[in-house]
Amino acid sequence: MNAQIPSLLSRLSTKSPWLYRINAGSCNGCDVELATTAIIPRYDVERLGCQYCGSPKHADIVLITGPLTVRVKDKVLRLYQEIPDPKVTVAVGVCPISGGVFRDSYAIAGPLDQYIPIDVNVPGCPPRPQAIIEGIAKAIAVWQTRI
Amino acid sequence: MSFFLPVLLRNLLKGPSTEAFPFGEAITPKKLRARISFDPDSCALCRVCARICPAGAIQFEKKPDGLEFNLWHNACVFCGLCALYCESEGLHSTNDWHLSHLQSEKYDLVERATVKFQKCTKCGKQKMPAPLPLMAKLYPGLPADEIERLRAMCPQCRKAETAPAEGEPS
Repeated sequence: MNAQIPSLLSRLSTKSPWLYRINAGSCNGCDVELATTAIIPRYDVERLGCQYCGSPKHADIVLITGPLTVRVKDKVLRLYQEIPDPKVTVAVGVCPISGGVFRDSYAIAGPLDQYIPIDVNVPGCPPRPQAIIEGIAKAIAVWQTRI
Repeated sequence: MSFFLPVLLRNLLKGPSTEAFPFGEAITPKKLRARISFDPDSCALCRVCARICPAGAIQFEKKPDGLEFNLWHNACVFCGLCALYCESEGLHSTNDWHLSHLQSEKYDLVERATVKFQKCTKCGKQKMPAPLPLMAKLYPGLPADEIERLRAMCPQCRKAETAPAEGEPS
């Protein structure tokens, strides 16, 4: 019985990855869209079995917004270390992917994939809620191969 | 109770307000600004798009026979300034927002096309292309075959042709 519990847990957890949101110096545009996907019934990301959680220790899928400013870089990397493996990382918006309009600024340490392994990119400024849901669906597909 | 019953009745009749996406089609407005499309046949190589792009997503690269247009969708912020400033109507905002991709495809998300230089039919010198939408704006009212003849020439020959100096036959 005890041996079956971990396999049962891993089988069940593929159906409900928990989302965690990191703001790496974002303008809050993408964060508003992330909140929209969860709160507004029209989009409702929880249909996919996802749920936003408040602690990095409970997270399975990490959504990172913002261009990774120099001030916030160490904090983001420390927070990312706290998320248990296996995890799937999604870069939301053009800022973490390429720097967006902040590219080549002295205040930007990014792009993010120089420091953190990214799995899925969702470009847009900001991406519309449906695009974020599409990205999360791709992240869930990656998540199911990892667990 | 009198307030609640109509709401309940309306919700029963209207059904769920959640969009079907990703299990069905998403509602997409026609004028949504998303992926930029580029038409190399309508490019005059003025490069105002590369200059105006706030994110530096558009770049031109020199090639032996022309200039290569590069637009990286992962840097584009959908502002639509390039489409607004493109006088020859080569750049357009489309409402295709399906841009999310795996990290392995990050650098494949590029709109790339080479716009070739042309030869002037009159003097034979190499020239920038003169696309039809731009020429139609420059010479309104001219017949189509005349515009076709003028756009195959370089600017100097075109000038001599359309605005001849005093004393020269037109």
